[in-house]
Amino acid sequence: MQLSPEDAARAIAAVEESRAAFRSALRANRGHLHLWLWGAIWTTMALLMEFSGETSVRHFPWLCLGGGLASFVIGRVQAAQVRVPVDRRFLGVLFAVVGFALLWPALLIRRAPTNELGFVYMGLVVMQAYIIAGIWFDTYLLWLGLLVTVLLLVGWWFVAPWFWLWIAVCCGGTLIGSGFYVRFLMR
Amino acid sequence: MIMDGLDSVVHQPVRLRIMAALTELGPKDNVDFAYLKKRLNLTDGNLGSHLQTLETAGYLRVEKTFVDRRPRTYVSATAAGRFAFDRHVAALRAILHS
Repeated sequence: MQLSPEDAARAIAAVEESRAAFRSALRANRGHLHLWLWGAIWTTMALLMEFSGETSVRHFPWLCLGGGLASFVIGRVQAAQVRVPVDRRFLGVLFAVVGFALLWPALLIRRAPTNELGFVYMGLVVMQAYIIAGIWFDTYLLWLGLLVTVLLLVGWWFVAPWFWLWIAVCCGGTLIGSGFYVRFLMR
Repeated sequence: MIMDGLDSVVHQPVRLRIMAALTELGPKDNVDFAYLKKRLNLTDGNLGSHLQTLETAGYLRVEKTFVDRRPRTYVSATAAGRFAFDRHVAALRAILHS
């Protein structure tokens, strides 16, 4: 098989073009849709509490249920396009850790003393899941989980008078912003 | 046919693009036929025939399955395919720099 340097250059250009196009398509299959969705849900919940009063907390389960269903559908569609083997041990660890963190307080304490504390606790449990996923798969989720954990705690301890606005802007905003990073900047 | 690292199976332009795309995936990941066809802007017949050639050479694995009761075909590069593709690209670069 004889090739001139021009033929080789054309072939390499075709390889690079195909790689770049496919890489760009794979980027559209990452977790940014989930981050945008949940960032928007966190922001909505916090703004409802800030501007519509404490009774808005009754909408939280429905928002989370809708978000969960949307996440499930997004996951199914993406998994049908590009299949990545599921690590069952990871899923087991995740369900055990998150399940215990939600089950025992629900059974033993029943209700958080304040809505703010309840939100911080639930947020920390979710971020714990992000951190575990980040450690397990060596991804951006570790840093995102740590960052939002810190933001939640700062909001709870130091920004109590503006807690819900802090959550809307800093925590919801961080999730939405990280979605843009994952979609457009991360290699 | 392999000469000096150049592989005639891989070198065909469409197959070169297919292998370039598939080697972007993780070693255990695989991609849906329709998704690959759309991304590479190929027809069913064109993609199917080239996949068959690459599968016969042992460079990729084709798996037929059902998702939500619909037939789906998933494609992934084998270790031999990744090796052949990397060697072919290295040979192309060697020609370019010679």
